[in-house]
Amino acid sequence: MTTTTVNGRVESLPDDPDALLIDIVRDQLKLTGTKLVCGAGVCGACTVLVDGAPVASCLMPAQAAAGKAVTTVEGIGAAQLHPVQKAFMAHDALQCGFCTPGFIVEATAFCDQWRATRGTAVPSREEIGAALSGHLCRCGAYDGIFRAVADACAGRFDGDNVVAPRVEARDKVTGAAKYTVDINHDGQLEGLILRSREAHARITALDLAPARALAGVTAVSLIGDDRIVRYVGEPIAAVAAKDRKTALAALAAIRLSSERLPAVVGLDAGRKDGAPVVFDRANRKRAGNVSEAAGGPAPWKQNIRGPTAVFSTRAKKARSWVDEARQANNKLLVEATFRTATQQHACLEPHAAVARFDGDRLTLHASTQQVFHLKEQIAKRYKLDHDKVRVIADHVGGGFGSKASLGTETIAAIELAREAKAPVRVAYDRQEELSVAGYRPAAELKVALLPSEQGGLKALSVTAHADTGAATNSTIAGLARLIYPAEAKDLSDFDVISNLPPGAAFRGPGGPPMAFAVEQAIDEAALRLKVDPIALRKKWDPDPNRQRLYDWASSLELWRNRKPAQTGRYRRGIGVATGYWLYLWQPNVKVEVAVKGGRIVASTATQDIGTGTRSVLADTIAREFDLEPGDIDVRIGDSSLPEGPGSGGSRVTASVMPPTLQAVRKLKAAILEQATRKPAPGSNAPWRELIARSPDIAVAETRGEDGKNTAPGIRSPLREVGLMGMVFGWMMRRFSNIAVGAGVPSSVQVVEVEVDTWLGHVRVLNVHTGIAVGKIAAPVLARSQACGAVIQGLGYALYEARELDPISGDVLTAGMEDYRIPGIADTPEIDVHFDEAGFDHVFGNSVGIGEASTVPTSAAVANAIHDAIGVRLTEIPIRPDRIVAALKGRDAA
Amino acid sequence: MSVATAEVLSAPEFRAAGTDLSERRRSGLSCGTVIDLTASPDTIGITWGADGAARIGALTAIAAIASDARLAQGYPGITAAAQGLATPQIRHMATLGGNLAQRSRCWYFRNPQIACLKKGGADCPARSGNHLYHVAFDLGPCVAPHPSTMAMALLAYDAKIVTDRRSGLSITDLLGDGSNGTADNLLAAGERIERIELPAPLAGERALYKRAISRTHAEWPLVEICVRAVISGGVFQQVHITAGGIAPVPLRLAASAAALEGQPADASTIAQAAALATSGAKPLTMTGYKLDLLTGLVRDLVERIAG
Repeated sequence: MTTTTVNGRVESLPDDPDALLIDIVRDQLKLTGTKLVCGAGVCGACTVLVDGAPVASCLMPAQAAAGKAVTTVEGIGAAQLHPVQKAFMAHDALQCGFCTPGFIVEATAFCDQWRATRGTAVPSREEIGAALSGHLCRCGAYDGIFRAVADACAGRFDGDNVVAPRVEARDKVTGAAKYTVDINHDGQLEGLILRSREAHARITALDLAPARALAGVTAVSLIGDDRIVRYVGEPIAAVAAKDRKTALAALAAIRLSSERLPAVVGLDAGRKDGAPVVFDRANRKRAGNVSEAAGGPAPWKQNIRGPTAVFSTRAKKARSWVDEARQANNKLLVEATFRTATQQHACLEPHAAVARFDGDRLTLHASTQQVFHLKEQIAKRYKLDHDKVRVIADHVGGGFGSKASLGTETIAAIELAREAKAPVRVAYDRQEELSVAGYRPAAELKVALLPSEQGGLKALSVTAHADTGAATNSTIAGLARLIYPAEAKDLSDFDVISNLPPGAAFRGPGGPPMAFAVEQAIDEAALRLKVDPIALRKKWDPDPNRQRLYDWASSLELWRNRKPAQTGRYRRGIGVATGYWLYLWQPNVKVEVAVKGGRIVASTATQDIGTGTRSVLADTIAREFDLEPGDIDVRIGDSSLPEGPGSGGSRVTASVMPPTLQAVRKLKAAILEQATRKPAPGSNAPWRELIARSPDIAVAETRGEDGKNTAPGIRSPLREVGLMGMVFGWMMRRFSNIAVGAGVPSSVQVVEVEVDTWLGHVRVLNVHTGIAVGKIAAPVLARSQACGAVIQGLGYALYEARELDPISGDVLTAGMEDYRIPGIADTPEIDVHFDEAGFDHVFGNSVGIGEASTVPTSAAVANAIHDAIGVRLTEIPIRPDRIVAALKGRDAA
Repeated sequence: MSVATAEVLSAPEFRAAGTDLSERRRSGLSCGTVIDLTASPDTIGITWGADGAARIGALTAIAAIASDARLAQGYPGITAAAQGLATPQIRHMATLGGNLAQRSRCWYFRNPQIACLKKGGADCPARSGNHLYHVAFDLGPCVAPHPSTMAMALLAYDAKIVTDRRSGLSITDLLGDGSNGTADNLLAAGERIERIELPAPLAGERALYKRAISRTHAEWPLVEICVRAVISGGVFQQVHITAGGIAPVPLRLAASAAALEGQPADASTIAQAAALATSGAKPLTMTGYKLDLLTGLVRDLVERIAG
């Protein structure tokens, strides 16, 4: 038997030639800081050191480590944190934390080698970018990572003191943070899912007996009662076994026969007359949902659902004005068709659930954006008492909208665990994650924008067809109602359903595609009207939050020093775009703030998906008591706590801050009332003393309505659009438990690009992002999220696209090397400006940042490219093939 | 999955570092016996002949090639290619021989559920399907570009390959002319690469390597080229230009090289050579853009070599 040394301990290696180093580390040694993400050496999450050199443990045969010294993330900070770990903590160079251990391992190796040869010189961004080019972060924490690595190399974190703005940062940089995929109960089984190979078929026979005949194998059926599968990858059955290898054998043993049905794939084919129908009338309720809230009724013929046009105003007028302008050859009429690509969430932690029954009590660890609501959904589906179900999510490795429903991973884990009478883990592999776990639908948007003779906005027409797969409820065009008031608007949304996996909500659903089209049309109008694009927006968009952002943007040096059109190989350009999202909050959210054992404890059943919810609570309460955030114990990620919000719709901060502040006020009064001894006169920390001596007291408060006294111009955006808006708002609250508040969270971005006209490469040099979301609750973390939003937006603009086989619908970009998310070296210099006014009517003055901050990026990039090369790119991602085609005036593939 | 496919996937395979094979084992694309290669003095490391020619053992890590100072002196195109491929973690593990013998990165080939020529199937699904990243020189039934960056660079250097059975093989002997769609190389079953032999560098030669990609790092090339030349008295001599990412095998851009040979190193010569880079190209519906990138790359590197 051969051995290896892991973190200083001798460990035996199995003889199995297929055992990989990551299997030894994670499964045999339970060192779960090392993460399995891509399984292909692309993302770096599994990086460990072998004899000091960083390697991808997901590819390295275990036997190749024989006689060598392996160091995992747990071995790096074991005795004492490495300067790189302290620098990551201090610069908040992490969000969800799932990629963090890999980055830490690589960066410590780089830093140690750098220090050995270069002393405390500071490495350049290019050097850091090249050294960390084998790592991917989906949250986009790269800006902080650059600063952390540079400062650690420069010797600025050699001391003992470390201040971490993110309360759980230490757990994330040491690999101690446990995610759902890391849960490992005694006797836990591994579950896998049998998925359809056909895009459309009727299951004629499903025989699980041969799988069940294998030792220790459990199998359950997952097919719907109509026995139809509607996309490649639709779940059919699930199996659980002692390990993945056995489970794979069980999947292969299942006997399945099916009758192939005619299938249709994609936006263009799905719209054709006579295309095979995906959902007949009786089965429409089976379609998924691509929005954050439930949808209203809409016409639905064959595969086209729509138009949804409730946000139109004087639509006929808009159409006739546009027609007249077209016939009159009005040069101010801007008309164009835009296309956006399907964007995958690509969470680094896959969809995963671990179910365990103790008698009739179910404990579920889940990688979810909604511990509380998921518990309610499970209780309802399986007819369990609410207090017999507990959903836990200590840490969640990214969500972005894709983990906000009761998914197949959870259903399979629960049903397998019940059947097997043993705990079961179901974790999607990368292929599943990048094909069937949801996506932002691609869209085609036809836009017509007509300025009036007086220079106002007369008519805006947007018709959006969204490529929703086996799902519905896309709102893209409708979002153009709440910005740029016009005399008339014709806004129609259509879902085009086809035999593709269902889309899902994705960070500002509908917002980025709307902005990509409308913000380019606005830009084009400014060019034709010969006015400054920011000045035109300022004129056409009266929203008070954005008015302040326009003033900020137009004062930027980058904007004021714009250069005329360039020639030559490399051309630089500057673009601007605007985005917004609704201010949403969740009624009935409760936060308990208590004194327990002389410490402050805050509890609510929400979760932190990398957004910083723990820190928002800790920072807010600490400020109120004049304590440090580390003095506050924050309990979240557990459905047994008081009802908390889902992490979607940018609603967490706005839902938890008001009840938290309310509870703090009451708790303070109660502490004072029960205090037997007042603090020493002149004490620097009166509350610290009072809390330490206080008996246990708990105060729970519920999120109340906002104040009515809003600043001038700040109103409910839905109220402004009249009756249909109010109906929409009522439905959101009634059916989705989401309230739409007054005031519009907004973002204005100014982007500088450089285009290599020979190689079609776009480099983003500078991004200024101005954000108005009220008072910033946790400034360092908010900055991280703002940078991450830009980086994700750059991915949408330049790199990311799901590619399909056009006939079968097989997702071809189901690995991280083909589905291209931004890397660290693609990160521009990012300047974040927070405008903290506008939400004084909200208790605490804070609303969410997650979605508004990512909406305008792709449009700002496209406008900057137009400024650089004089050609408008109407389709994203703006890859090299599209740049060289645009420069030649031909269509790209 | 058809019987033919199962048979193909069950063939025994050699394993060097496993950076390609491990992923195929996990996804079910390789199910046969694994034969681990162990290094001997002859198969690992860089050795030098009296004439200044280098021999590189097949099990030498890409990172060792990328960081070797003497290699960078004599064969800068090989150094730059080794520095430009994959990621730091992969370069630490992956070997030169493995890089040459790696399997296709085609997204149809990598999907275990889809049959293709390289898996014993009857036709190439990429040709009629989505071939955005595939060949622009359509030389055979399979339209996947050859994945080996090192092969492309070694072709520019007229390297010879020594296997356990044969010696003196050119890159073309090793990889073929692209007409065989069923394999990524022409090694016989059980034959393994032992080392690569490079001719001595030419006096005063320069070389550059570059890949066109959408991001900054860590992406398979849309197009990549290696340019090698001597410029003497302002005139191009001994020009070698090879390209990858555009054909089922690395290609020599012979017309471009010929247009430079013996000509003055000026802008019009270079422009003409760049335009000739696409001679013989046969792009697919979706790959016409690769020809623009190829032209741009040739112009870029030849200008820099001349400058």
